[in-house]
Amino acid sequence: MAAADHRPHYEIRVAGRLPDRWAAWFDGLSVSAEADGTTAIRGPVADQAALHGLLDRVRDLGLPLVALTPIPDPRRTPR
Amino acid sequence: MDAPATPLLRTKLRAPAPRPGAVARPRLAARVAGDDAAALTLVSAPAGFGKTTLVADALAGRPGVAWLSLDPRDDDPATFWRYVVAALETVRPGAGDGARALLDSSRPSSEVLVASLLNALDAPGDEVVLVLDDYHTVASPEIHDAVGMLVERRPPGVRLVITTRADPPLPLAALRARGALAELRASDLRFTADEAAAYLTGTMGLALGAGDVAALGERTEGWIAALQLAALSMRGRDDPSAFVADFAGDDRFVLDYLAGEVLERQPDDVRGFLLRTSILARLTGPLCDAVTGGGGGAAMLARLERANLFLVPLDDRRRWYRYHHLFADVLQVRLLDELPGEVAALHRRAGAWAEAAGDLPEAIRHALAAGDAGRAAALVERAAPAMRRARREATLGRWIDALPAELLRTRPVLATALVGTRMATGRFDGVAALLDAVEQRLAGPPEALVADDEEELRLLPAQVAIFRAALALVAGEGAATLGHAARALELAGPADHLPRGSAAALAGLAHWAAGDLVPAHERYAEAIGHLERAGHVSDALGCSLALADIQTAQGRLGAALATLEAGLAMAAPHGAIRGVADMHTGIAEVLVARGDPAGAAGRLTAAEALGEHAGLPQHPYRSRVAAARLRELEGDHAAALALLEEAGRRFDTDFSPVVRPVPAIAARVRLRAGDLAGAARWARERGLGTDEEPADATEYERVTLARLLVRRGDEGALPLVARLLAAAERGGREGTVVELLALRALAELAGGDERAARASLEEALVRAEPEGWARPILDAGPGVADILRAIAAAGRAREPARRVLAALTAEDRRPPAAAGPAEGLSEREREVLRLLGSDLSGPDIARELVVSLNTLRTHTKHIYAKLGVTSRRAAVRRAAELDL
Repeated sequence: MAAADHRPHYEIRVAGRLPDRWAAWFDGLSVSAEADGTTAIRGPVADQAALHGLLDRVRDLGLPLVALTPIPDPRRTPR
Repeated sequence: MDAPATPLLRTKLRAPAPRPGAVARPRLAARVAGDDAAALTLVSAPAGFGKTTLVADALAGRPGVAWLSLDPRDDDPATFWRYVVAALETVRPGAGDGARALLDSSRPSSEVLVASLLNALDAPGDEVVLVLDDYHTVASPEIHDAVGMLVERRPPGVRLVITTRADPPLPLAALRARGALAELRASDLRFTADEAAAYLTGTMGLALGAGDVAALGERTEGWIAALQLAALSMRGRDDPSAFVADFAGDDRFVLDYLAGEVLERQPDDVRGFLLRTSILARLTGPLCDAVTGGGGGAAMLARLERANLFLVPLDDRRRWYRYHHLFADVLQVRLLDELPGEVAALHRRAGAWAEAAGDLPEAIRHALAAGDAGRAAALVERAAPAMRRARREATLGRWIDALPAELLRTRPVLATALVGTRMATGRFDGVAALLDAVEQRLAGPPEALVADDEEELRLLPAQVAIFRAALALVAGEGAATLGHAARALELAGPADHLPRGSAAALAGLAHWAAGDLVPAHERYAEAIGHLERAGHVSDALGCSLALADIQTAQGRLGAALATLEAGLAMAAPHGAIRGVADMHTGIAEVLVARGDPAGAAGRLTAAEALGEHAGLPQHPYRSRVAAARLRELEGDHAAALALLEEAGRRFDTDFSPVVRPVPAIAARVRLRAGDLAGAARWARERGLGTDEEPADATEYERVTLARLLVRRGDEGALPLVARLLAAAERGGREGTVVELLALRALAELAGGDERAARASLEEALVRAEPEGWARPILDAGPGVADILRAIAAAGRAREPARRVLAALTAEDRRPPAAAGPAEGLSEREREVLRLLGSDLSGPDIARELVVSLNTLRTHTKHIYAKLGVTSRRAAVRRAAELDL
């Protein structure tokens, strides 16, 4: 699966520090709290419908959405 | 009546009871309750802002509040409207009868449903406030459109209150601009410093200083759910100030921090119970026991409620509860984190309980969550027939889409169910490929196939052939439709009434579209019998209507009446089901043809009294055409044309061939009103002329053209009538034959051959007599009554002529209206007309035009007829009026 995985990657940034146990809630995306008091939820998203599903989860928790950014696949573009 | 796939949950129609000691918010409550001008009160804020509590408190004790708590399962138009109807009926009993009947008998468009609801609500009575709680769970654009329509067209005294976590796609800006929108948003709903203090120190009785309260308010930003969690975790602490200090100094997500604090302070059994039952949409004691594998679930729920642990009771008897959504989400996060190995098993046990309780949709949800795709697929197959009957194809399609595609390959019943949902929602692309795959599988080794019900598997080959026939029909491929339908009949057993009835109806439709009335008649008659035995009475009525149309075309008015009356008798035990109105309207059409407009009017009234839900998809247009016909016979041509205009907008033959296009019907009304130019405009736009007519023109259009030509005294009239007559005789269309014979009589009269005219009309009368036709003769044109009177006085068809004359209406007796603008004048005729205005004599004009005097006479006769005049002077005057 990984080799054929061309799913676009996204970063959803929310206000507040989320512990990484929330990763499972966000379909296994990585959840990392940043120093500035926000949390970045990052990873591959199947399509727009799946992305909206993730945003709904953010909304349903009352997490303030700060930014949504498409990001390069970290495994393909080494940084 | 079909049973809905799942019973309605009455608990969803109940507003939450006010909580004792809750912080009173009179200012906000007044905004929810008091603004009668607002068509819509929108309470839009994230989870945990007290939206539901506010609205419930504001409207508590007030009459006319129809409450509906929505959840994701309601995001299907059929389900949504069932609940809205049920909610409205809690305050206006009977108001949803029409809408419910619509839902039971068909997949009505939301527009029709809303129209029916609005009609029912537009009655004197108390104000009705419809509350749609948690509206963000709705995603379907169709539902949004219809709710928007409900808001826009609400009758006085009806308004909507919507709570939601996201602004809905309703016309909010327009409502706002009109001052018809009241809004309460997060900034309004946050607890103010005073409210936070009242809650923490008053309601919760915490010993907190003003500084602590302020710190909590700041850290939670007035988020009520967070303040509640904070209060819970402080209860029983010796030093709440220390808690506040810790909390305020932490930057973790408020909800996570506080829920962790609350959970940590629970005994192990409570904590385990909370985590394990967090997967349940609704909780009840035995279900919790099944999921946790322990006992005492009911007692635990009571204990949690007493401890204020975010449990919302759903009924007065404290049998069903749910967790506050926000709390349930946090609990599930902890469950996934702490007991990941247990999650699938918990869903399995919850699913088994739901299945045993007959709640297949919930069982499917759990099977999908447990990752048991095969089991979910079996459950979907089992749920499919009831879901189809309840017209919940949208949900069915969503389930199938959630399953891995491989399953469709081993499960032909599931793949065919997917085809059904696609076709029901008008998405035909890819359907043929799915059917190919199903057939391939069916031809393979049977042991490779999986099905929940072997009987469904047995019926599958016939079902596939029926879908193929329907696809071919939609594509306009008549021969292919017949081929697939014949194959379906071969494949179905003698007692498989539904497939037999469906296949016969499709074959009947294909024959009818091809103009083969005799085999179409046979197939429809078969279809009616099978569909009735299969319990699909509305479908049988649809076939009865088609059969009556075919019989009418064959001239057999008596048989058509019998078919429609038999349809009424078949439907009688089922009440006002879909199709009953069509029977009455069909009977009205027959009565009109027999010259009984009073009887027809009675039938139309009966059809209307039944309500829109009692009509098939074609009823809105057909009932208007029938009503237009009655207005026309009363001489109110404007009203008739207005009705036809509406009919054109509601035009839907539901796949039946277009026998009588509405514009042609309107052209006939124009002819009767003397607007020859209007009728000529229709013929020109349709490309109809004496020389050549478009190949796709219907017989009704061609006969309409013939009427126009006869009325104009056109030379082309007789040859066209002769051609049409021969074709109608060949096709066995006796009704058209009668009409054309009457037209021929008028054309012959215009040509000066009175004897031939009389013979033609006598033949029309003789052939009209057995079935009682009247209108096609009277409608042929002005002048027919005179010939009828002559025949009635002395002729071989004296009796029939008297019968038809008895059907003359006051309108028929009026002298023909003056012909309207003569757009039908040819270039040559215009030239003649110009010369008629000069001082030249007839022979001079003939010389001028280089034609014989006879030819000139023919031209002038045509000009007079087209202008509706009888003299040269009148023709010149009329030409001046018309600016010719």
